[in-house]
Amino acid sequence: MSTTIIAEQQEEGIHPTLPQLVHAASIIGGECTIIIPGGGGESEASEIVGVDRVLKFNGSCFSVFDSQSWSSALKGSVGGTVLLASTPRGRELGASLAADIGISVVQDITSISEGINVERPVFSGKAIEKVTISSPAVITIRPNSLDPAGNGASAPVSTIDSGEDLRMAVEEAITKASEKIDVSEADIIISGGRGLGDISNFEKLEEVASTLGAAVGASRAVVDEWGLPHSMQVGQTGKTVTPSLYIAVGISGAIQHLAGMRSSSYIVAINKDPEAPIFTVADYGIVASWEDALPVLHDSIKALP
Amino acid sequence: MGYEALDFYDVDSLLTDEERMIRDAVRDWVDESVIPKIENACREGVFLDEWRQDIGSMGILGAPLKGYGCPGLSYTAYGVICRELERGDSGIRSFASVQGSLAMYPIWDFGSEEQKEKYLPGMATGELIGCFGLTEPDYGSNPGDMVTKATEDGDGFVLNGAKMWITNGTIADLAIVWAKLDGVIRGFIVEKGDPGFSAPEMKGKHSLKASVTSELVFQDCRIPKDRILPGVKGLRGPFSCLNNARFGISWGAIGSAQACYDSAKSYALSRIQFDHPIAAYQLVQNKLAWMLREITKGQLLAYHLGKKKDAGEWIPEHISLAKMNNVDIALEIARVSRDIHGANGILDEYPVMRHMANLESVKTYEGTHDIHNLILGRHITGIQAFTKGA
Amino acid sequence: MKVAVLIKQVPDTTAKVGITSGSVDEGAISKWSISPYDEYALESALSLQSGSGATVVAITLGPERSSKSLIDAAAVGADELLHVVHDGGLGSLSLQKALSEAVTRVGAEVVLVGKQAADTNSGSTGPGVAKMLNYSCVGLVSRIEAGSDGFEATRSTPSGMERVSVKLPCVFAFDKGDVELRRPNVRGIMMAKKKPIEKISLADLGVDNTGEGVSTTSVDYPPEKPEGQRFEGADAAAEVAVKLREEANVI
Repeated sequence: MSTTIIAEQQEEGIHPTLPQLVHAASIIGGECTIIIPGGGGESEASEIVGVDRVLKFNGSCFSVFDSQSWSSALKGSVGGTVLLASTPRGRELGASLAADIGISVVQDITSISEGINVERPVFSGKAIEKVTISSPAVITIRPNSLDPAGNGASAPVSTIDSGEDLRMAVEEAITKASEKIDVSEADIIISGGRGLGDISNFEKLEEVASTLGAAVGASRAVVDEWGLPHSMQVGQTGKTVTPSLYIAVGISGAIQHLAGMRSSSYIVAINKDPEAPIFTVADYGIVASWEDALPVLHDSIKALP
Repeated sequence: MGYEALDFYDVDSLLTDEERMIRDAVRDWVDESVIPKIENACREGVFLDEWRQDIGSMGILGAPLKGYGCPGLSYTAYGVICRELERGDSGIRSFASVQGSLAMYPIWDFGSEEQKEKYLPGMATGELIGCFGLTEPDYGSNPGDMVTKATEDGDGFVLNGAKMWITNGTIADLAIVWAKLDGVIRGFIVEKGDPGFSAPEMKGKHSLKASVTSELVFQDCRIPKDRILPGVKGLRGPFSCLNNARFGISWGAIGSAQACYDSAKSYALSRIQFDHPIAAYQLVQNKLAWMLREITKGQLLAYHLGKKKDAGEWIPEHISLAKMNNVDIALEIARVSRDIHGANGILDEYPVMRHMANLESVKTYEGTHDIHNLILGRHITGIQAFTKGA
Repeated sequence: MKVAVLIKQVPDTTAKVGITSGSVDEGAISKWSISPYDEYALESALSLQSGSGATVVAITLGPERSSKSLIDAAAVGADELLHVVHDGGLGSLSLQKALSEAVTRVGAEVVLVGKQAADTNSGSTGPGVAKMLNYSCVGLVSRIEAGSDGFEATRSTPSGMERVSVKLPCVFAFDKGDVELRRPNVRGIMMAKKKPIEKISLADLGVDNTGEGVSTTSVDYPPEKPEGQRFEGADAAAEVAVKLREEANVI
């Protein structure tokens, strides 16, 4: 069986998941073609080990993301199993292509083995579905689920011009105002407690929050003591949070605080007291003063590819 | 975590589809709009106006009344609404009880056609708020000896006296006031702004803090002739209203009890002492099992009373039993729940102490616990024991 | 103008999902609800109803119990209800085919749907149905407005938001919108019970549920999270950052 990978563009070039998709293609086996819809990045793509050819598509329709036009433009060059990154755009384009070609689509898989057998989280991660795929299908792969394929090859690159028309026009680009995210809706929360020492140190949390797109929360102790808004308090009646990542900084972990956040998918705790109860629920507990550890964490997050 | 209502005997499966849909709508509203805001409202001692608007737009005020823009639901549906509201806070349920059973109901049952047309549609949507003035500073369980008086004077009535413990009083657009006219208790509609009428708020409550409680003061308060409720004379008027309100309370108290049980259960499972969750200890399990037992009995009581009310096969003593029992067990459940929560139970991070304090009021208002016992005692023996001698 | 809203009934996001012998135990689901993103689609349809007099047709596909989601939609104002009754699995192609035939049947040229369902978490239905109908498709939409010559939609992009114009017919797949969802009131609930639900089968739509070479072999609980890891010293924060990306996959 052959595979076709549809690469995704991002502002700086090709999406970093592309080598991971090539790794998945090598598990499936057969020839591997990368399609690049508009933009650049073809030389990066051609260097990934395991790629047999790169097709770069040019055409006016690629100036705006339009899944219906794009799939019409690309489908003639797509064969075998089709792989995309499970990003919002990858999933939309993948679904359009599958319907266009007349094959099934399996979204957001987190593991893949020969067969083809895949696993995908369902019910927001409360369960894992195991799926066997025996015919060509479109598969989207959750970023960072697989190791990337290596570099150093040089596959041939050819260019195809598409005359497909766009079905929509961008009227206005709206840059996101850096508005504060509400604790009850955030996917990532960084919270501070009395261990921060002073209300002014919440600025440090704000900095990390803006890097991560996170909301800033607080323990009851500092909300009461330092007069922070109640909307920030985690653990208050009715304020149970379940983000995918909760970072507790200088919070010892009183029972009501733990009750308010323990259902978070992943919990990082930074506290200098190794006996602090917060460590009993932490997936990653860092025994250190926050003054030392938080800057390291922040810099390391910024340095991630 | 979502609220999973304790319903051990699956009593809610006996409800109709519409009753369950109404339950879910009110329950979702309580989760989204009451529980996240109630503690702050209690700290500040305010009833949020958005609650009035939301309750009005849900169309649940005056639930069992038909016509004049009222919902026309079953009494069972009214009970379910009270239960869900009181799971949030007794003050929220009190708002709806007073509006529906104590202010809308007497207009609906005893009012003139003009009065019904004038007031009920606006009250059903929450645009007009009503209150109910029966209790006086010196006459609580004994309203028959009230001293508030009405006298005829030309083309109107003049009221003098004072009422106390009046839910919604300060925010009300109209008050149903019971006063003696020539020695006979009659109902009057007094509107905000009528000369000689004021409704100062009572401050300093440790209970029902998110509910407005007021005095109603009448100093030569003059109202037009058409404000008297023509359809009733004597204590039957206010007592009919109270029967309906007490019915709602018998359901509502179960909502409070469920909230306290829910909190106790999750706390007991997460609180570790001596290396184990306290839920693993027999004394705590005994308390939880007792709560489950009493709540289940209370639910069955409330449901069956609802069916009797809907069928018209009830006597006031049936309601007395349910109001007395369900508030009594809810209050005890709140106390035991507070106990399970240990010191944390006194904090407003948990709902239990708030419910406990609220239920102390609920135990007393709309016929005290003891008065309901006397009502039942009279029913059993045929001998009234409210008064001494005579 | 007819607006179709595709809604799916799913276990409420607060309900526990139990699994017995490799599949979800549906009987043990305590509460079923309209999938959350579909609620935003429904809300937007109802705004079109009040804004420009659109007729809102709610369509669901699923077993008998799914009718409840249509009654819920009617309780907040959906005008017409169509239930494609089907119990059991359905491949993505057959599903999209059935829904696109249902849209054709009701004659809607605007189709609103959630960006993904809360059970399968796939997000294939909107773009797939658009393709089968040859409608345009805008995904990740937070709001739409009817213009003189088509629609304007606000959608999120990797770097922010953008407003796009698109001609009808079109499918809009909704993200969480910046609108408040209306809640049912008593009047709506009482009227909803009187509203007829048209029930049809896959066969009525000319769809046969053939295998598509994709089969679910089992559903399991996710593996237990490993024991918490403990690190000493501030420098370990660098290692934690990497683990958050590679192990936990949360940043």
